[in-house]
Amino acid sequence: MTIEVKERTPGVSVVALAGDVDMSTSPRVREVLLPCFQQGTSHVVVDLSRVSYIDSSGIATLVEGLQLSRRGGIRFTLVGVSPSVDAVFELAYLKDVFEMAPGMDELFQGELPRG
Amino acid sequence: MSLEEIHGPVFLEVPSDPASLFLVRCLTDRLTQRLGFPQSEVDRVVLAVDEACANIIRHAYGGRLGERIHLTYLVGEERLEIRIRDFGSGTDPVHFKPRELADVRPGGLGIHFIRSAMDRVEYETPPDGGTLLTMIKLRQPKEGGKE
Repeated sequence: MTIEVKERTPGVSVVALAGDVDMSTSPRVREVLLPCFQQGTSHVVVDLSRVSYIDSSGIATLVEGLQLSRRGGIRFTLVGVSPSVDAVFELAYLKDVFEMAPGMDELFQGELPRG
Repeated sequence: MSLEEIHGPVFLEVPSDPASLFLVRCLTDRLTQRLGFPQSEVDRVVLAVDEACANIIRHAYGGRLGERIHLTYLVGEERLEIRIRDFGSGTDPVHFKPRELADVRPGGLGIHFIRSAMDRVEYETPPDGGTLLTMIKLRQPKEGGKE
């Protein structure tokens, strides 16, 4: 699996994941994702558009992120959730708990990324 | 020749290493697809088997990587039976309970995923140690939808 972190605009971090998020990879996701919820960050986005599989350890990592976002008053959005990943959120009754957007374009419509 | 014509069980043995979970998912995915389960059910069975093995690695073997996990797939006309055997600490199955879903916190979802996907889930503690998990998924009728 690959993990990329970018600052889209000041205070807005995008964590792009590709591959399967399972027990073998979620510790790395956790290591990268959780430090994003730091002072000065206003919005953390996780791009899941290239993730086709997620298990409970991946969901747990995202829930940890959600808890940090609530604690820090930081917006947290999941983007590009595939139908198979969406089904796992639904099974966990977590679909309505996370803010989700179909894609980066829809989420940042009207906003210009920093070049 | 389809898998339905294979007489006898299919075995898979993997080390208790999270890196081996993708192999378990691959076999479970192909087998359940070939048996004609709809994709949504295939995904849920794959998730259930993955979660069961992850629980073994985490709890029965306490994260030790070199232990063994034995999986047995038994294909019947009416059901798919998956047995997962470990030789670990033999956690009392009574304690295998899903968490309250309304409680949004990390962890505790694996058992819920397993029970949601399968029609029957049974834990046994064999006399020679470890745990045997038997999960049964009933096969849908070929035509006419659900019973």
